[in-house]
Amino acid sequence: MTSRKYRILVVDDEPSVLTTYRMILEQKGYDVVAAASSGAARKALESAKLDLLLCDLSLEEKDSGFEIIDYARSRQPGLPSLLLTGYASRDVSERAQRSGISVLFKPIDIQEFLGTITTKLRNAHEQAQASGQ
Amino acid sequence: MATPQMRMEHSASLRLEAIERRPAVLRRQSTLRLLGAERSEEIYPVLLEEVVALGFPRALIGMADFESGDLIPVAALNCSRKYQQRFRVSLYAGDDPVIRVLQAGNPMVIPAAGLGQNRLYCHPVVYRNRNFCWEAERERRMDCLAVENFKRKRRLQLQEQGCAICELRAYAGVVLVDLKPSSGVRQIAELRALIEIANRYLGRIFRTEHHYNRMTDMEITIRQMETVMLSMADPVILTDANHRVIMQNKAAERFFKVPEQVSEGRIRAVELNNLLFSAALSSMAVSGSETSRDLTLVDAIEGEELLFEAVCAATYSRDGLPTGMVTVMRDVTDLRRADQEMRASMEKLRAAEELVRQDRDRLNLIVENVGDPIVVSDGAAKIVLLDPLAQELFGPDKEGERDPIRIRNQAKLDAYLTTFTFSFSDRDSSPLRLVHPGSRGEIEYDARSGKIYDERGQVAFTVTVLRDFTAVRKLEQLKLERRMLEIEKFAATGRLAGTIAHEINNPMEAIKNAIFLLTDKVQADSTPVYQILKSETERVARIVRQMLGLYRTADQVGSLEINTIVEDTLLLFSRQLEHSGIRVQTKLGKLPQAVGSADQLRQVLSNLVVNARDSMSHGGVLQVRTRHLPAPDGIHGWVRILIADNGSGIPGNILESIFEPFVTTKGEKGTGLGLWIVKGIIENHAGKIRVRSGVGHGTVFKLDLPVVR
Repeated sequence: MTSRKYRILVVDDEPSVLTTYRMILEQKGYDVVAAASSGAARKALESAKLDLLLCDLSLEEKDSGFEIIDYARSRQPGLPSLLLTGYASRDVSERAQRSGISVLFKPIDIQEFLGTITTKLRNAHEQAQASGQ
Repeated sequence: MATPQMRMEHSASLRLEAIERRPAVLRRQSTLRLLGAERSEEIYPVLLEEVVALGFPRALIGMADFESGDLIPVAALNCSRKYQQRFRVSLYAGDDPVIRVLQAGNPMVIPAAGLGQNRLYCHPVVYRNRNFCWEAERERRMDCLAVENFKRKRRLQLQEQGCAICELRAYAGVVLVDLKPSSGVRQIAELRALIEIANRYLGRIFRTEHHYNRMTDMEITIRQMETVMLSMADPVILTDANHRVIMQNKAAERFFKVPEQVSEGRIRAVELNNLLFSAALSSMAVSGSETSRDLTLVDAIEGEELLFEAVCAATYSRDGLPTGMVTVMRDVTDLRRADQEMRASMEKLRAAEELVRQDRDRLNLIVENVGDPIVVSDGAAKIVLLDPLAQELFGPDKEGERDPIRIRNQAKLDAYLTTFTFSFSDRDSSPLRLVHPGSRGEIEYDARSGKIYDERGQVAFTVTVLRDFTAVRKLEQLKLERRMLEIEKFAATGRLAGTIAHEINNPMEAIKNAIFLLTDKVQADSTPVYQILKSETERVARIVRQMLGLYRTADQVGSLEINTIVEDTLLLFSRQLEHSGIRVQTKLGKLPQAVGSADQLRQVLSNLVVNARDSMSHGGVLQVRTRHLPAPDGIHGWVRILIADNGSGIPGNILESIFEPFVTTKGEKGTGLGLWIVKGIIENHAGKIRVRSGVGHGTVFKLDLPVVR
């Protein structure tokens, strides 16, 4: 189990941004699934079990990042999720806080980005181990 | 001698011839005895003795008592009491023979009344003289009683026995002598001559006595007058026709008589007084009509100057010639001083009155021009004065009636006045909504009142000025609208910037990620270029992040609960601050509501809190305080927000330009936009921002936002 790669779903409607995220994460040794729309994201969520969800708030289609995360959690409760957004609004902060979702505001410092991902995955792993025992 | 004259007049003249032949020796003796009498009553016994010495058995003198109206025996010789009483009769008993003789004025022999009785010689004695008395002569009058009686033709009028000239009360009486049957004509003539002489002496003594008495009386009167004069406190001076002093009282001597042992100055004073006095007298005498005059004299003893009012009266002799003057002087110094003082007081009063009048006029002018209704009420909150504008709101209209609007207005005013008058505060202001009787529109007034206290510290009056608040409100509304427009404009600009930033954001994200992916993949000679690419991109990212913050400032302008906004902002940053080891101290005062954009204010506070946090990288204390600063006019005011840290502080050279864009103390990490945005927002809210800072001590920001009551 320990040698298994963490699987991360990245959702962003900007292809260039999505590509760079995927490349960075792959470079860091993660198994990355990239989705450019909410539809693609739902399909990805249905097809495989994930360790982490990274989602942009504003998507091209009707669903927002919150809906994708909600959907993911309905399928996989307690899935660590990270919301990425360029709109640093209070409403978003408050909603994310209520739902226990971490938020990173764009432009994102890459070191902070990678640090947060590592922390999230470690916490989830420790929790799973604690509950598994 | 009276004898020849008498003989001419009296009917018994023939018989009188004999008297002439009577031995002169005897007559001289009797005459000398009679002459020895000093007083009138001394004559009576001497006469009676001489009568008896002539050989008559008894004699009696009866005198008229004008008070009782009787003839009363006053002296008698050899007469029994009973005999004397026979002659006590009324002067008006016309049928009595003795009275008849007295009235007739001629001596007569009354025949014997009965058996064993003698004839009675009855001789009237009346005050009379051939010559005028001194008084009559001096006054050149012919009605001297003595002469009248001497020349008398008719019956003697007993009631008229008083002299009109010298006021002498004359005498009248009879000498009654019992005749012997043997008494002859010669004897009777002798008797008659004796009585005549006695009467002449009696008259003379009587007159002398009268004059003596008169003189004595006069002396007493003079002495009394003198006493009166001397006892008068006012100077009294009697002067002769040449204004020489005849007499003066003690009070006058003080001024006009040179006192003993006195300095030359005093003597001069007296001389001057005399000079002034005689000058005054002369001029008064010349003018004739003037009877009083003011005179300033120097008291020779005390040396003080006194003002006198000299009142003069001329004295005249009996024949109407002026003989001098009596001058009474009244010390009017105090009177004049009092008068002057009164005049001065009067002047002062008049001046004060004038001042008060001017003040009142000025006040009235002010009151009329204030343009606000003014109400004055007394200590019992009862309205005593309304200016024309207040009259319009509360007073009766021209017909003296009041419509319901005015009554309601007054009820509201009364309620306010009562509360204020009996409150403990000296001044007060509170809103008062009244309806204007003319326009029937509601006006919000700001009633501002003050108390006027009396000397006992009780409320005497209260003055209330009603300021039409609607005008102020309207102005404030206008200002607010302008401000809102500014805020709105700022928000729109912010939104635009935010939208642009957002649009840049995604490409930025991709560029940034791409740069990251190229790490370690660039050739060594390209590394500096790569570094420039990386750092400049990071800078663009920061600016974009700052600009993104502006995107949110889209909310409506409205009432702000500043304390709530402060608390929310601090709550948002509480975890970060705690993490940085920063302690937050808040002191939030009671604040009125301000008007503005809550989001923009939140951004202001956020920026300042973030700056404070960044300046305290090693921990510290963040103080946030709010306070209401009311303006003296009671309407306007400020809300002050103070944000202070004890962090690194801002260097002096940067402090001046701190609010300019792109000025930062944070080097690469800062955008230099935060305080610029803060200032923009505060100024849009018509507020003020000030900063105080010391390197190593910390920084204090003071924000003042306007509030309107």
